[in-house]
Amino acid sequence: MSSEAIAITTPVAEVPLSRRFGRVWWFALVVSGALVLLLGYTLVSVTILGVGIWGVNIPFVWGFDLINYAWWIGIANGASLFAAILVLRRHDLRTAVNRFAEGVAFFAVICAGIFPIFHLGRPWLFYWTFPYPATYEVWPQFRSTLTWDFWAISTHAIVTSLLWYVGLIPDLATLRDRARRKSVQRIYGVFALGWRGSVRHWAYHQRAYRLVAILVLPLILIMQSTVAFEFAVTLVPDWHETRQPLHFVATGLAQGLSIVLLVAVLLRSGLRLGRYIDEEDIDLLGKLVLTSAIVSGYLFLDEVIAALLAERMAQEAMLNRMTGDYAGLYWTAIVYSVLIPQLLWFKAARNSTIAGVFVGLSIGVGIWFDRFSIIVGGLQTDHLPSISRTYQPTLAETGLFLGTIGLFAALLLLFVRFLPVVSMFETRHDEHLEKSS
Amino acid sequence: MTPLSYGIMAEFRRAEDLVEAVRTARRAGYTKLDAFSPFPLTDLAHELGVRTTIIPWIAFLAALVGAGLQYGSQYWMNVVDYPLNVGGRPLNSWPAFIPSTLIVAILWAGAATLIGLLVILRLPRLHHPVFAVHDFRRASEDRFFLCILAEDPIFMMQEARAFLETLSPLAVREVPACD
Amino acid sequence: MRKGAHFDLEAMKARLANEDGPRLWRSLEELADLPEVRRYVEAEFPDIVQAATIDRRTLLRLMSASLALGGLAACDGGSAGKNAPLLSQSHTMPGHVPGVPLTVATSLPLNGFGRGVLVKVQEGRPIKIEGNPLHPASLGATDVFAQAEILSLYDPDRSDAPLQNGVERTWQELTGFIRPVRNELVVAEGKGLHILMPPTSSPTLLRLVAQARQLFPLARWHSFSPIDDDNRRAAGMTVFGHDVDLVYDLAQADTIVTLGGDLFAEEPGHLRYAADYQARRRMQDLALPRAFAVESRPSLFGARADDRIPLRPRDFAAFAQALAGALETGSVAPSDHPSLSRIADALRKAGPRALVVAGREQSAAVHALAYAINMRLGAFGSTIRAIEPVRPSEGDVGTLADLADAIAAGQVSHLVVLGGNPVYTAPADIDLAALIHRVPLSLHLGQHRDETASACHWHIPESHPLESWGDLRAFDGAVGLRQPVTLPLKPGLSAEEFLGLLAGQALDGRGLVQATWREAWGEGFEARWARSLEDGVMENSAALSLDVAMRDDWRPEPAAPVASGGIDVIFAPDPSVWDGTFANNGWLQELPKPLTKQAWGNAALIAPETAAIFGLSTGDTVDLSVEGRVLRVPVWIMPGHAPGTVTLTLGYGRQRAGRIGNDIGFDAYAIRPSQHSWIAVGKIRAAGERVALVSTQQHHSMQGRDIVRVVAPGQSPPPEKEHPSLYPDWPYEGHAWGMAIDLDACIGCNACVIACQAENNIAIVGPEEVAKGREMHWLRVDRYYGGDPASPDTYFQPVPCMHCEKAPCEVVCPVNATVHSSEGINDMVYNRCVGTRTCSNNCPYKVRRFNFLDYQGTDFTASSDLMNPQVTVRDRGVMEKCTYCIQRIGTARADARIEDRPLRDGEVVTACQQACPTKAIAFGDVNDRDSAVSRLKQDPRNYALLGALNTRPRTTYLARIEQPREDG
Repeated sequence: MSSEAIAITTPVAEVPLSRRFGRVWWFALVVSGALVLLLGYTLVSVTILGVGIWGVNIPFVWGFDLINYAWWIGIANGASLFAAILVLRRHDLRTAVNRFAEGVAFFAVICAGIFPIFHLGRPWLFYWTFPYPATYEVWPQFRSTLTWDFWAISTHAIVTSLLWYVGLIPDLATLRDRARRKSVQRIYGVFALGWRGSVRHWAYHQRAYRLVAILVLPLILIMQSTVAFEFAVTLVPDWHETRQPLHFVATGLAQGLSIVLLVAVLLRSGLRLGRYIDEEDIDLLGKLVLTSAIVSGYLFLDEVIAALLAERMAQEAMLNRMTGDYAGLYWTAIVYSVLIPQLLWFKAARNSTIAGVFVGLSIGVGIWFDRFSIIVGGLQTDHLPSISRTYQPTLAETGLFLGTIGLFAALLLLFVRFLPVVSMFETRHDEHLEKSS
Repeated sequence: MTPLSYGIMAEFRRAEDLVEAVRTARRAGYTKLDAFSPFPLTDLAHELGVRTTIIPWIAFLAALVGAGLQYGSQYWMNVVDYPLNVGGRPLNSWPAFIPSTLIVAILWAGAATLIGLLVILRLPRLHHPVFAVHDFRRASEDRFFLCILAEDPIFMMQEARAFLETLSPLAVREVPACD
Repeated sequence: MRKGAHFDLEAMKARLANEDGPRLWRSLEELADLPEVRRYVEAEFPDIVQAATIDRRTLLRLMSASLALGGLAACDGGSAGKNAPLLSQSHTMPGHVPGVPLTVATSLPLNGFGRGVLVKVQEGRPIKIEGNPLHPASLGATDVFAQAEILSLYDPDRSDAPLQNGVERTWQELTGFIRPVRNELVVAEGKGLHILMPPTSSPTLLRLVAQARQLFPLARWHSFSPIDDDNRRAAGMTVFGHDVDLVYDLAQADTIVTLGGDLFAEEPGHLRYAADYQARRRMQDLALPRAFAVESRPSLFGARADDRIPLRPRDFAAFAQALAGALETGSVAPSDHPSLSRIADALRKAGPRALVVAGREQSAAVHALAYAINMRLGAFGSTIRAIEPVRPSEGDVGTLADLADAIAAGQVSHLVVLGGNPVYTAPADIDLAALIHRVPLSLHLGQHRDETASACHWHIPESHPLESWGDLRAFDGAVGLRQPVTLPLKPGLSAEEFLGLLAGQALDGRGLVQATWREAWGEGFEARWARSLEDGVMENSAALSLDVAMRDDWRPEPAAPVASGGIDVIFAPDPSVWDGTFANNGWLQELPKPLTKQAWGNAALIAPETAAIFGLSTGDTVDLSVEGRVLRVPVWIMPGHAPGTVTLTLGYGRQRAGRIGNDIGFDAYAIRPSQHSWIAVGKIRAAGERVALVSTQQHHSMQGRDIVRVVAPGQSPPPEKEHPSLYPDWPYEGHAWGMAIDLDACIGCNACVIACQAENNIAIVGPEEVAKGREMHWLRVDRYYGGDPASPDTYFQPVPCMHCEKAPCEVVCPVNATVHSSEGINDMVYNRCVGTRTCSNNCPYKVRRFNFLDYQGTDFTASSDLMNPQVTVRDRGVMEKCTYCIQRIGTARADARIEDRPLRDGEVVTACQQACPTKAIAFGDVNDRDSAVSRLKQDPRNYALLGALNTRPRTTYLARIEQPREDG
């Protein structure tokens, strides 16, 4: 019985240590690498020429930049929130998904972080949002939601990355100890910081890890609300609603879950980790995604109800989003993020890889359209009819968006290649508890 | 008296054996023990007298400091150092100062806890005597080790080895001290 | 200036006086080396000299500013040193203090009439044009053309060297060529010499023409302007048997009826008329005047009229006749137009205080009837007076058609085109270019190497009106002197100088003008001359009214049978580029037209009804054929336009306007028939193509929101309810700047928009950017329609920054780049802005403008010489917006401090306020309860736009007054 313990996490550890990794991975890496180059190109050109190369104008001062920001940060927050909840509830699922859920969150933050900087008219001055004794002796303006967001993003990036790394240390030690080649051993050795599995260390490690994981919970809620505040605090009729934060948090969670599901099914089939991410895990994930989709659905409904109760301007704005120039975005959002996920009512769908990928993507797409609809469609109706215009995204903006997707994919691929995608020590721990009970 | 060796170590196959071993060792009067396992054994740590209550305290205090610092600086910058009429709002617009205060509190708590953890564990420490022990690498995989440290007041190499042998381990090995 | 400096100045002028033209710059250079010059300049501009050891170029510039050798050009030495704007200070202006901009009074021509202006000259560089309060045609206000003239002055495309068949020549070569030719002509008494020039009001030009006529008795003179008043003057001849101009006094009029045209935009006295009309409306003790606009194409006057009656051009004669009849007999035939009786009653009621004006596009018959009606009502002498024509045609002056015939008959050996651009503006059936090619020797004097220049053998650069001497008469005959406000930026000749040369006078623009008035005045010339220069207008030089009587043999000509079928085509001057003269002016091209809000182009205006019939929507193209010529034009659906009618504005589709004006819009001249040059009958056929038209306003209805408020006379709107605020009030000791805009006064003329652009160095972004919605105007004029689209109410609302006390924009800026000043101004700190643009998101008025690209480095960018040095030029990636002309506040404050006194009310005048002909904008200190702006804000009509948002705007509006229709 205990001899089983020998084999248990070996396959997971063997993944990063294996010498070659197959064509599919290389192909994927090359593709995403190309997109990363595209990202670099679009960023350089926007820095040199100015945001005028985008479709932005007055009043649509924000286009893809903020749409994509809100979208990526939604994924990041959703994934973190999910992971944090699992840790908090000591749920078995955490052993299976936390590692890459946190990974997804971290990579998404990196993608999101690009936009607030490069959407500026003068990106090279982004650091002026940080309170340092500038020559002007002027400080940042702390009443601004953008300032709040500056702190939120940096906090999110710092805390989640730290948490993720600390969680990795024991597994890095395993890799160090299993590595056959000296060089590999050295590298993992350095990052393992000399972890030796002392029971004392384990105790502190677990306490700290869980505590910070719990801290992430309020952080995410505040942060996602802050993103919503960037719109809710303005006088734009469609944005000026107290329900905005709830909408962003809930739909954000749906986003995070759907991407986690997506990655889960891919890893499962791609790395043959069926044993660690098992039927039940995927099934449970599917149910969670379905629930979150239903919640989103409720929020779309709530949006309409809130508008009905709001004053005339808000009603007109909502109506315009549903029937105006940008109505397509609104309905696409509902179809993709609410209706399609209903597939997951069927067990077959929950267990099929294709369905998982499909639904995961569709929610991602749906919420992206929702952000588009809010940021552009919502801004179209303003207090003075004379300033109402339209916004058309340009190629430069699209390139930027694809670029970040490439960056995200590339980071994910490297993570899969060089790190254990499932927490090995947690798996051992669970295994042990099951046996001892 | 500088010990020639760091201590002596017994290797076990099962976590239960390690727990048992620790109990007997403590009964035998050994106080300076260290146990190694591939996954957390919290109750065992408790038996070894490990108390981790400091962790939440670090988090709590750091959070207080962070929050205080953030709100304080916002107040000082807007009210004292460079008062500006921004949209006719009061200089000390406390409701607007709260969000970043909360966020930064969490930043401090999180960072302090995790960095504090490493400090407490005295990590990174890439070289440690136990690594020299044959087969110890499996401590990160599927083996469990008990180590009686040389600094233990009643430590005598022969006795200790004899004692460990009685626990029917897979092996007992001496842990040489690295100068 | 200092005595010692004076001495040096005189010395230098003396030195320069006996220099001849071409050497002058060199002698300036030499001068620059003289120690006393340096001393003088250092004495004049201490601050600049201290700032840095000054190099030769600045030295020269400073000298030109202080010596002010206006009108000095390579070809123009005679006037060297003698003509100095320095000498011409308007009363209202302080003496010249170094560094403080100089203000020069002069006149600008439009269609031959003068508008008095004051030009602000900063260290020798003219940078801003304001109206001349003393000038009757301005009263301190300006129109868009006067404002934009400063940009035309710096137009890089202006011609700067003579051309012979397209090859650049030196001035010497030119003189070398012309001298023998002239001698031959003198000998031949000018046989075969034909001279074509636009009608002018300039006494000096007319004097020189007369002189030239004596020298060349056999020469023929022709006059042509695409914006002619032929019908009006023909009617004068038939009705009064006398050629007259008419001047209206809207301040006296109780009832005004216009038959087409646009009193507020297209009449030579349009600024004055708008001002008088509003003055009359403001007279508390009198009932509001009643204005009826019977018109085919919506006009600015129509937009403000109490009653707009859309009417097809072909129906005007009948309508006018019926109106006349109704006034004679007091009875209205049932067949007549429904609103006829209403108008007749109003006219009868007003009696002598009534006024009927026919637009210049109307037929002579309609004008004649209008005269007759005014006569019958006894309006002459009260609301309308006849004067000798301000632009008389001395002797027999041929038309363009005559010239064409003469050329065709081979009678023309020498053709001189003195200004204007007839090749472009000629009617379609006169192919002037081809005709000119048949003339052995043709010569063109013009500012640009335009269509006419390229058709003629020789082209001579004409100096800009701001560079040369002259005189112009206003709509009422008042004379204003034109004097150079700068050294010529490009060498050139004025028409006066050219005619002078032709007539054998010395090349001395100033001398020519002085000669005219020496003759006219005799005694006390110097004093009157100096005075006139300072004032910019000659005292009581306005023309005396003639008392005219109707020829008793005059009878209204029997109504011609109304054409049936076809579509009426009206040709009209364009509100942005007039007849094409301003096509290369970026400010005007980018200026949204008052009613359509179209920029960078023109369109064929049609009624919604007509559009429905042909199944057209704005932007669809149609093939419009007039007398056999076809032009493909995009249509624009224009609420309030007469059905069965299409309006084409002139001045677009230029081929040789310059880098800005080429290939924009369509050329309506291409189908303009000379016989029916204003109103023709044509056919329209949908062409199926679409053209993207650029406009700055997509939505035209107020959607039932409380945006432009309207009240009945005397009645006041429900009082603003106090909106409670969570925030404590912020105290503003000292000044608190605020603005009030009277929507009852705004006529939507756009003068404020261009004035703001000129004052604040606002960039031109070009058609593509405007189409994207990135125009930079700090002040926009929103135009809304209400009611029935067939004949809607039109509302104008100028929207600058509201400078909200609880500014939402400031709160969302992460870097404190926009904050409140101690005087409550919503400051924009350009160098702190990082460009998040979130402030614009939170601005409910969307008055903020963003530099999406580097708009200071485009093909449209204006010369940096005309930049206002007191206003920062904004960088890429930076937000900008209206600052309440904070630089003007600063200047006023400095002046007050120097004189050690508090700022007076009315001392700070914003650019928009200053330009406004109807004084719709008031600006001042709202802490001072008696300030003009405070008084307006206490008016019950005062309200805050979007007040419910509780942003506490400092800019508020006064509701527009509309009187209910009196149906009689």
